[in-house]
Amino acid sequence: MSERAAPGEVVLSVEGVSLAFGGVKALQDVSFDVRSREVRAIIGPNGAGKSSMLNVLNGVYHPQKGKIRFKQKEFVDMDSHEAAALGIARTFQNIALFKGMTVLDNIMTGRNLKMHCNIFQQALWVGAAKREELVHRRAVEEIIDFLEIQHIRRTPVGRLPYGLQKRVELGRALAAEPELMLLDEPMAGMNLEEKQDMCRFILDVNDHFGTTLVLIEHDMGVVMDISDRVVVLDYGRKIADGNPAEIKKDQKVIDAYLGVAH
Amino acid sequence: MNFFLEVVAGGLLAGVMYALVALGFVLIYKASGVFNFAQGSMVFFAALTFVSLTEKGWNFWLALAVTLAVMIVLGMLIERIVLRPLINQPPITLLMATIGLTFVLEGLSQLAFGSQPHGLELGIPDVPIEWLSEKWNISISQFDLFAAFVAGLLVLVLAVLFQKTRIGRALRAVADDHQAALAVGIPLQHIWTIVWAVAGCVALVAGMMWGVRNGVQYALTFTALKALPVLILGGFESIAGAIVGGLIIGASEKLAEVYIGPMVGGGIESWFAYVVALLFLLVRPEGLFGEKHIDRV
Amino acid sequence: MALDIGTLDTFPKLLLHHARVRPSRPAIREKDLGIWQTRTWLEFADEVRALACGLAGAGLKRGEHFALVSDNRPRLYAMMYAVQCLGGIPVPLYQDAVAAEMAFPIQNAEIRFAFAEDQEQVDKLLEIMPQCPTLKHIVYDDPRGLRHYRQGELAGYDDLLAKGGEALKRDPAFLEAEIARGRGSDTAAMLFTSGTTATPKGVALTHHALIDRAKVAAELEKLGDSDVVLAYLPPAWVGQFIFSLAQPLVTGYCICCPEAPETVMTDMREIGPTYYFAPPRVLEALLTQVSIRMEDASRIKRWLYRRFMAVANRAGGAILDKRPVSIIDRALYFFGDVFIYGPLRNVLGMGRVRVAYTAGEAIGPDLFRFYRSIGINLKQLYGSTETSVFVCIQPDGQVKADTAGPPVPGVELKFTPERELLIRSPGLFKEYYKNPQATSEAKDAEGWFHTGDAGYFDPDGHLKIIDRVKDVGKLSDGTLFAPKYLENKLKFFPYIKEAVCFGHDRATVCAFINMDPDAVSNWAEKRNMPYSGYTDLASRDEVYDLVRGCIEQVNSDLASEPEIANSQIHRFLILHKELDADDGELTRTRKVRRRFIGERFDALVAAMYAGKDAVHVEAQVKYEDGRSGTFSADLKIRDAKTFAPAAAKKAA
Repeated sequence: MSERAAPGEVVLSVEGVSLAFGGVKALQDVSFDVRSREVRAIIGPNGAGKSSMLNVLNGVYHPQKGKIRFKQKEFVDMDSHEAAALGIARTFQNIALFKGMTVLDNIMTGRNLKMHCNIFQQALWVGAAKREELVHRRAVEEIIDFLEIQHIRRTPVGRLPYGLQKRVELGRALAAEPELMLLDEPMAGMNLEEKQDMCRFILDVNDHFGTTLVLIEHDMGVVMDISDRVVVLDYGRKIADGNPAEIKKDQKVIDAYLGVAH
Repeated sequence: MNFFLEVVAGGLLAGVMYALVALGFVLIYKASGVFNFAQGSMVFFAALTFVSLTEKGWNFWLALAVTLAVMIVLGMLIERIVLRPLINQPPITLLMATIGLTFVLEGLSQLAFGSQPHGLELGIPDVPIEWLSEKWNISISQFDLFAAFVAGLLVLVLAVLFQKTRIGRALRAVADDHQAALAVGIPLQHIWTIVWAVAGCVALVAGMMWGVRNGVQYALTFTALKALPVLILGGFESIAGAIVGGLIIGASEKLAEVYIGPMVGGGIESWFAYVVALLFLLVRPEGLFGEKHIDRV
Repeated sequence: MALDIGTLDTFPKLLLHHARVRPSRPAIREKDLGIWQTRTWLEFADEVRALACGLAGAGLKRGEHFALVSDNRPRLYAMMYAVQCLGGIPVPLYQDAVAAEMAFPIQNAEIRFAFAEDQEQVDKLLEIMPQCPTLKHIVYDDPRGLRHYRQGELAGYDDLLAKGGEALKRDPAFLEAEIARGRGSDTAAMLFTSGTTATPKGVALTHHALIDRAKVAAELEKLGDSDVVLAYLPPAWVGQFIFSLAQPLVTGYCICCPEAPETVMTDMREIGPTYYFAPPRVLEALLTQVSIRMEDASRIKRWLYRRFMAVANRAGGAILDKRPVSIIDRALYFFGDVFIYGPLRNVLGMGRVRVAYTAGEAIGPDLFRFYRSIGINLKQLYGSTETSVFVCIQPDGQVKADTAGPPVPGVELKFTPERELLIRSPGLFKEYYKNPQATSEAKDAEGWFHTGDAGYFDPDGHLKIIDRVKDVGKLSDGTLFAPKYLENKLKFFPYIKEAVCFGHDRATVCAFINMDPDAVSNWAEKRNMPYSGYTDLASRDEVYDLVRGCIEQVNSDLASEPEIANSQIHRFLILHKELDADDGELTRTRKVRRRFIGERFDALVAAMYAGKDAVHVEAQVKYEDGRSGTFSADLKIRDAKTFAPAAAKKAA
């Protein structure tokens, strides 16, 4: 992986991106940028195109028009595997963990791209493979410590309550040591206390690992407290972009959330 | 008593052979949810390739290495040609595809190496171990013991690969949830290729062992049918299940043949395993080591 | 094993002693990043030495107090020892206390230095800084989240350790001299009593008191340097303080710090402590977990469990006490041990426990018996912060569910006419810090400590505590009436949730019972008894019979205790409503407010003493949806059988 961008430098820029599924225009000419080490939120009412936007950034969808640059390099038709290799990790709204595997194993899969021993070394469990495993295990233990989930290390993920699963998923994304992390509604379906915990962890990740974060949220409340800058989408278009204080005052945003007819 | 022990030991060792075949099924089922009907023909194909190469006068190790390479390439080809185009199709479609694959493989192998049976020698004679028969009056085949040792080694390697390594974790991850695996950057195709290649290697080992015992001939493809009750007993998803299932089937089959056989006029060895499997299905449909499925209504 | 204290009269001197005699034995372990990390006595002592020099450099003075707010961590303990090396007095505070609760101790002891485990604790200390002008130095352990803190008061543990290490190298003699200056009569630690009623009091305990008691108890239980303890209760609590500081120093045993509060069970299974302490509520929670798991187990397992628990109940305690047991039970118990009790002990993490204590509150006899029956040597002890814990311990072979055992060597006990327990022991505290009035009230001129606990000796000379002196009353014949003791006995039955006993200045004892709705409705369902709701169920004759059975059992127990045999419960009624903190009937910590209830339901009390069979009640009820209505019904009053006191029986 290449050097990390300096704080404040633009790491990701989205230029005039449009995406349509058949006749449905999910995104129309959306442009914004993400600076290194900031917490950037994408908000908007239901169906505003937030998830589509995240899937474009992660290489799941390929936009028909527009460009995406990640660290000065332009990416055309990048797929999600490549995105992961470039240092973009993500979490999912509907938690995509391996339910039958333990928390430890789940987070270890996050380090898959960082491990290099070949299949023969692994099958024979020779020194190199063993050493590699230990090094990565240590890194994963640090994440477990960081997220305060030591007590469930050996628990199969499927048995955990929702809030903890979300935290494990954050851990797995973190295990890839991504430069940019995409969080898809990290607080959806949580109670207030879980939300507060999650906010704390998100800010800690940002602060401690220097990870740049892009998160999408439906609920405006929490996001405003933890974001540096906010993009607002409505019906696939960007209707506002700025710091939380500006966004709160923006008439177009207020209208969009109140459902004023266009 | 000695006779009983001899029957049990013989049965267990035969069970190891069943387990070897079952293992190939489990690997593929675990990783891709496909019941690979072609596993039997892969066993046949591997054994035939190997035996043909040795008959051409190739050195044992060279023949082994080349056959191994062939099986790996075969695994990769199957993934590329058969599975990849069928991604996201229902399991029944994939099953059909593997049935088709069975015929392709059988045809291909007979086309390449002819259809006459071959004998296979690995230099380990299929004779009773002397000191055992002298001292305890139990006759256990030297080769059976060797086959058990090879099977044990194979299982050990597989267990380490699955439990302790990145690829094993990736395999389990893919088996658990395809979509999630893709999202963390685990290349699905890559994993499937590995699984099919590993299954090919397992098929080679099974083919060699069975080949020594029964000769390398078309009937080897039916070993797959022997593996079915083992899988039902052990569960489709568990390596441990394949082993234990194989041992149980092997032992009960032999015991039934010896003790129940005479009462019904003999010849029950060939179908008794299915009876055991059927009875087991009634009690524990998910198998001994299978995952318990709880359906919420 | 027996350590000759001799000149080793302070904690730091003992620490250095162990670093000399068992340098490579484990002193303290901590699970960090999933791996148990061990510090040997030598390594640990070296860390303490360097740290002490660091503290000296930061200006810690002899006799100065030092606050510590942390969970059980090697660094917390290293810090305490380091403070003591310089003649400072560690003041551990409860790590889960809110910021405001920390202000008093810091103001009271004019504390300048504090140690905080992490950002959370640092935040609390920073919050109270305006009220605590003396607080000038905060040493933190875990730097996570503190990167942007700019307060000059903050310093990292690692920095302090590094600076101290250099200072130690430059002038090793300084610290040696400082340690040598310590005396056994110096205050070793100050622990604040949780002031539920009044302001907290700082209990000053000397090195001599703590070391003496720790040593006596260790010798009684034959503890040695191969013992292992899991430090999982708050370090500010005197018990944990003794188990993880004083006793390792007299035995050389190893203490283990769990990874996180949530991992205690797993960590305990991994470590396998040999010496264990748990308050009854922890034991109760563990048993509940076991029961829940057994409910989910297969039918065969459940059957086996029930069968073998019955065997254990019959024979387990006796086998542990080395009393005679029939050969059949012994054989059954052996099998049970292999298949049930052994695995169960392992699941509980108690597979290697030799000595386990419980104390702090009354423990239910069934709960107590459960642990003993599966072969865990659980015993009770009596003590408090002011007595350096060990006052009474049940010796092996003399364990009872309802006493605290005989006094340990060196302790003198006596009772005032009001039944208050007085203690004289080498382990008594020096003083309540800056509170001479409270000190002289608690400790009289002859050196007797007034515990405030009421009790008596049972026929075997075991101490039995029944209640606080201020709550104990007298029946009209002058005999002892201890309502809380009776109520606790009743509450140990699963069907009784709360009980309120009356009897002060009356001839007999009567009781209000609050049934446990969950347990009783379960019971009712099992016997297909239809009922329409709480009040209906509570008025059923069947339920009255059920409760009467419980009461009569209590009465028969009481009959064998001559001191309180007269307090048997003659009459009772089951209340139509649950006692509720919202109605002022319970305190917020769920203790019954006996006087308030007596006044509120005075008609009911009067009816019971008037010998009536029923009493009419009319009450305002608040429903859960906020509406209120009037409830009116006749409550039944029933008699319970009483038994002739045991002593009298013998005479007859």
